[in-house]
Amino acid sequence: MFMPDEIGDQLAEVIVEFCRFVRASGIPAGVKESVAALEAARAVGVADKQTLKAALRAVLCSSKEEWDLFDDLFWLFWRAADREGGQGRKPGQKERALETQSAKALLGLMGSNRSASGEEDRGRAVAGASANERLRKTDFSEVPQSDLHDLEKLALQLLRRMSERLSRRLKIVQLRGQVDLRRTIRRSIGRGGDPIDLAFKGKKLQQDRLVVLLDISGSMNAYSLFLVRFAFALQKYFQRVDTFVFSTQLSEITGTLRGRQLREALKELGDQAQGWSGGTKIGECLREFNQKYGRKLLNRDTLFMILSDGWDTGEPEVLASELAAIRRRVRKLVWLNPLLGLQEYEPITRGMSAALPHVDVFAPAHNLESLLQLERHLARV
Amino acid sequence: MAAPTLPPGKSIASPQDVVRGFEELGYITDPALATVIFLGIKMGRPFLLEGHAGLGKTEVAKVLARLLGTNLIRLQCYEGLDVNSAVYEWNYQKQLLAIKIEEATTQTVEEKEKHVFSREFLMERPLLQAIQGREASPVLLIDEVDRADEAFEAFLLELLSDFQISIPELGTVRARHVPFVILTSNRSRELSDALKRRCLYHWIEYPNFEKELRIVISRLPGIRQELAKQVVSFVQSVRELHLSKAPGVAETLDWAEALVALGRQKLDPAAVEATLGCLSKSLEDTAKIRNADVEKLIVHAG
Repeated sequence: MFMPDEIGDQLAEVIVEFCRFVRASGIPAGVKESVAALEAARAVGVADKQTLKAALRAVLCSSKEEWDLFDDLFWLFWRAADREGGQGRKPGQKERALETQSAKALLGLMGSNRSASGEEDRGRAVAGASANERLRKTDFSEVPQSDLHDLEKLALQLLRRMSERLSRRLKIVQLRGQVDLRRTIRRSIGRGGDPIDLAFKGKKLQQDRLVVLLDISGSMNAYSLFLVRFAFALQKYFQRVDTFVFSTQLSEITGTLRGRQLREALKELGDQAQGWSGGTKIGECLREFNQKYGRKLLNRDTLFMILSDGWDTGEPEVLASELAAIRRRVRKLVWLNPLLGLQEYEPITRGMSAALPHVDVFAPAHNLESLLQLERHLARV
Repeated sequence: MAAPTLPPGKSIASPQDVVRGFEELGYITDPALATVIFLGIKMGRPFLLEGHAGLGKTEVAKVLARLLGTNLIRLQCYEGLDVNSAVYEWNYQKQLLAIKIEEATTQTVEEKEKHVFSREFLMERPLLQAIQGREASPVLLIDEVDRADEAFEAFLLELLSDFQISIPELGTVRARHVPFVILTSNRSRELSDALKRRCLYHWIEYPNFEKELRIVISRLPGIRQELAKQVVSFVQSVRELHLSKAPGVAETLDWAEALVALGRQKLDPAAVEATLGCLSKSLEDTAKIRNADVEKLIVHAG
């Protein structure tokens, strides 16, 4: 089904224009895809729009989401193209401007303003051993301002050590492996076929991932900011750490934490969190997480950690079912609840009791000591 | 990249040819899927079929192989699938025996090594088989690629662009006929962008009433028209119930077959109750279907 060159050229123009159009709507149609789209259009012809749509869709889309988007885009473009005689509608300038604006606002929220504070504490002497002991046990929400710096320092030091210990344990385990028959036989040829030198397969490197969701609504603030440190320190041990904060909505802060000064990032997060109040919708946030990030971030190598006191103003059923969905896909689901540090606390809030059946580990996270005790849950073996 | 070659005497000139060919082999396609298959053949690109389980993704490959009259080579992916079980492996037992037997001969170590690592001792796994088609391009089905890990996906990507495999002891094997490649995924995880961009993409939806009815009738020629209609409309309503695992076409066929085997002429609550296991694969789903009131879901003809 080849067409004369003249029509072919026109076709090329329209297809390229169409690719540009869908690209503006978020479908990644690059040069390579445009060429393929043209090839596909030539192969099926343009007479039958349904077939043309199916062909272009196959080439340009690569997920269900793009696929769903495509139909509308296709008809929008071709109707306009038919009306204007071959010229496609230009992508909405207004919409794009809006997008850039909100992206900028978001960046601003995540912060790129340098903070100058926090340096005056530097001269302080390191506290003695007993002071350290005390700090380890102090509830994060009750740490006096004057001790904050020491606690931070101690936390980083201890957490880093923990992270190193975890990595080392992983390496030792990796030494044991199965006999590598292939190399064993190869070595045995020189010995008349007797496998004297055994060759071993290295154990496959485990690609661990950590996903952390932090509740930053009202009272959870102090705890969440400490858990960010925890996540930061663990970056060494886990191949990949993705961090999110939530209250009534979910937002990703992985980028904020990556490749920056921890202090700075923390300061900004703190400022940002202060403005957020109102109830927590854990279930809804988890649903959003599942929809947007679930496929990408959750698999059998993932350790999923959520920090929250379980005060959920949403529907407990949603929380339970979303949590169950996550648990099915990950290696371990850990729920940290700072209130667990209180002696009289019992997890009877609606949200918490809905969540508990779907949790592998339910642990306190109110002070440094409790965070360090998480080590045994983090280790793979 | 070389394009796959059709067997002599075969030609597929348009998407309609695909629809027709598939239908003759008992597989009802829609024009969109047929277009993708046609383009895959024409442009020599692998295609990625995504969709819920039980909608005939795997079947597409089987039917395509029959339509083209070539071999179907299937690689079932699973967690932990490695190159040894996907590409090739040496036959160790045989190698050990050969070394023992040759002990007394005067061959040098190098000669022995060369012998033991020759084709005779090589066990070809699906991917190596797939690039060694003798007369024509085989169909290579890489099933449930989302189950394999990311490292394997990267390897696959390399194979799909070069169609060659290097075996350190033997040298490089190049494809004589590049296979037609079909990948399927249940979307249990997202595939890498690079792999997705290499492929033509098709999302398989649940079929509409007419299409599903045609499928049931073409696969179960003995079924009564009325029963088939009731079964299909029942399943279509069940899909609206948001079950944890909605029944696919495979379940519809199973169920219809079960009803026929039980000698049912039409659907009634008792028959549904007795055979609900064909449709629902979990306790919660079964409860949901019961709660939705089975009687209401049954459409009575006339």
